[in-house]
Amino acid sequence: MKVKVRYYASFRDVTGKQEEWLDVPEGTTVQGIREHVRGLYESIARREQVLVAVNGAFPALDRVIEEGDDVAFFPPVSGG
Amino acid sequence: MIKIQREDFDVGGLHASLKTRGSGCVVTFVGTVRDTSDGRPVSRMSIEVYEGMARAQLEAIAGEAADKFGVDRVEVVHRYGDLEVGDNIVFIGVSAGHRDQGFEACRYMIDELKKRVPIWKREYTPDGVVWVEGDRREQGPG
Repeated sequence: MKVKVRYYASFRDVTGKQEEWLDVPEGTTVQGIREHVRGLYESIARREQVLVAVNGAFPALDRVIEEGDDVAFFPPVSGG
Repeated sequence: MIKIQREDFDVGGLHASLKTRGSGCVVTFVGTVRDTSDGRPVSRMSIEVYEGMARAQLEAIAGEAADKFGVDRVEVVHRYGDLEVGDNIVFIGVSAGHRDQGFEACRYMIDELKKRVPIWKREYTPDGVVWVEGDRREQGPG
């Protein structure tokens, strides 16, 4: 299954990409896609906190990713 | 009302728009660009936002503040783009019947914003450009 993921802030810098398509097995969870991305990028793997949003919300880690989901990876936020 | 915008905001106008006939107070918080961070001078800042999600999160936070504290009106404005020292970054304002509701709601909203709204600062320092991530700072490329 192909899933489009986007990277924000320092994650865009370290991946060198705003977005990319990942090929992951059907039934992949949020935790699973996070491990997949940690496996692709050592600098993300080293981070203590890797936040994953799906469709504009913070999902449970066992939520299954579906085709067409809007998945975003980013570091801890610092607005305000 | 929730706004995410590049341009500055009018604090007086926002303050006035919060008042209702039943309100006994208006409480506001304005975040601004500091000239230092962790002991290093900061010459300017840029702010990145994941806009769709930031808007949804801010709307959720405003709804939670209304439910928890019974505020009358809420206004939130967050800026993005390039900012200079002293520039406004964020406005959080509430009106409420009584001061305790107002202070608690305003505090709740800025604290939640800092935890879960996808917005990031980059500070320009003599050591380079630094992403601010949560309470920590990570060195980024130029």
